[in-house]
Amino acid sequence: MSELLQVTNITAGYGDGPAILDGARLTVEPGKVHCIIGPNGAGKSTLLKAICGMLTIRKGDVVFKGERLNGLRPDQILRKGICFVPQERALFPKMTVRENLRMGGYVLSDTKLRDRRIDEILERFPVLRERADQHAGTMSGGQQQTLAMARTLIVKPDIVMLDEPSLGLAPKVVQEMFDIMKMMSQEGVTVLLVEQNALMGLKNSDWGVVLDLGRTLFEGPAEAVLADPRIQELYLGGRKVA
Amino acid sequence: MTDILQILILGLALGGVIALMGSGLSLVFGVMRIVNLAHPSLIICGAYVSYWAFKLWGLDPIVTLPIAALIMAAIGVLLYRLMFESQAKSARYSEMTVLLTFALAMIVEGFLGAAFTNTQRVTSPDYATDAFFIGSLFIPKGQLYAGCVSLAIIGALTLFLNYSRLGYAIRATTQNREAAELLGVNVNLISMIAFAIGIGLAGAAGSLVSFVFSFFPAKQWEWIAMLMSVVVLGGMGSVLGTVVAALLLSVIAAFVGAWVGATWSTMTFFLALFVILLIRPQGLFGEKPELA
Repeated sequence: MSELLQVTNITAGYGDGPAILDGARLTVEPGKVHCIIGPNGAGKSTLLKAICGMLTIRKGDVVFKGERLNGLRPDQILRKGICFVPQERALFPKMTVRENLRMGGYVLSDTKLRDRRIDEILERFPVLRERADQHAGTMSGGQQQTLAMARTLIVKPDIVMLDEPSLGLAPKVVQEMFDIMKMMSQEGVTVLLVEQNALMGLKNSDWGVVLDLGRTLFEGPAEAVLADPRIQELYLGGRKVA
Repeated sequence: MTDILQILILGLALGGVIALMGSGLSLVFGVMRIVNLAHPSLIICGAYVSYWAFKLWGLDPIVTLPIAALIMAAIGVLLYRLMFESQAKSARYSEMTVLLTFALAMIVEGFLGAAFTNTQRVTSPDYATDAFFIGSLFIPKGQLYAGCVSLAIIGALTLFLNYSRLGYAIRATTQNREAAELLGVNVNLISMIAFAIGIGLAGAAGSLVSFVFSFFPAKQWEWIAMLMSVVVLGGMGSVLGTVVAALLLSVIAAFVGAWVGATWSTMTFFLALFVILLIRPQGLFGEKPELA
């Protein structure tokens, strides 16, 4: 197996606070959609934040393409090829859609290339093209999420990490977001997402990772994780089920 | 009618200078959430640079403006590294900056007082006491020049913020610091640059202020209240808002000064601060505060 990103037994937390993650591990293979599931407080978002450099990793390793990422700043990790879209979507509300896309290409020094990619993205996402000169803050939740995901494509990243992209969206819109993720993975962008709705997340993914109390319980192909009795136990409190 | 026009002109010219005095304060708050109570004391530092350059070598304060701006920007870099960089992740950052910059204001005032005494100073190039006459209107050259230079600098600042790569990064950091960091902006470096620009603007404003107002180290206390009301009315962090608010309040103050009495003129700013905070705390161009 040729893994793209390997997270081994990391410990991390906020500031000097207690460790939220303790023994989290993860394997990311190129071109697939990976879904991290787990109950509230399992440390799902924390894991993404640790990978992208927003939190200090106290123990363990994050290795990307054979290179250790521990201790790098978020902007350095982005330049390596890992993009993170946090839960709040991280848009600039008072900038237009086009300006937001331009910020997405901030690390590109070739401005012509950046502008060409912005045009490509506007071409591919009509919903954004129609609103290119509108302030991002005035768009609907689904449109904002689309912008946040599309914006990552400007730097042509290897991995896009999404923290609960479905949060606060109508079911129909949620499916559109998963369709965009599928499209991204078909184009060779590896997706790593955190999803509160385990069933829906796994159904739309290739690989599942189950996190509880800061530890990785197990990971495997999405169908296998979905069928695993331990999932029932975790979510339904399950001896009744077993 | 002529009276009204006359007061309006005087108000607008002064408003331009006040806008420049406030724009640095607004920028620094917008990008770094630093409430810089020391801003007026740093304006006074800039004023001394131009004052002494004129007094010793006869250099025009508008000519020495870039020098004052550069010196103050360099001091801004030092201050940022010394006082704010290590605090950037503190949860009570903004509150802490109020105390830190208050202390800084006292230190700067003490230092300036010891170096230059509390004598009132004013730079006196020829135009400072000269005026243009158009019919029965008179336009003081000093205020006109200072107002125009101020608005030109703010215009340049706006172009820079809206169209340059660095300007994009500064605006992005203002609107969403975490998002900017995730998109590859080195937010610490950007914060330092924005702070340096803000203090540089204080230096530039100081050069102009030096021939428009008389100044001495303790003058900062009057200015901090005036600038706070301008920045709050404009919507904390909005440079455009600061300009509009400065022109508006300054014109109102000019009318109050002419019709009610000169002593009431400065009161306009303080009263405005109270009224704004009661009625529209987010200011003209600011966002509504989010419910916690």
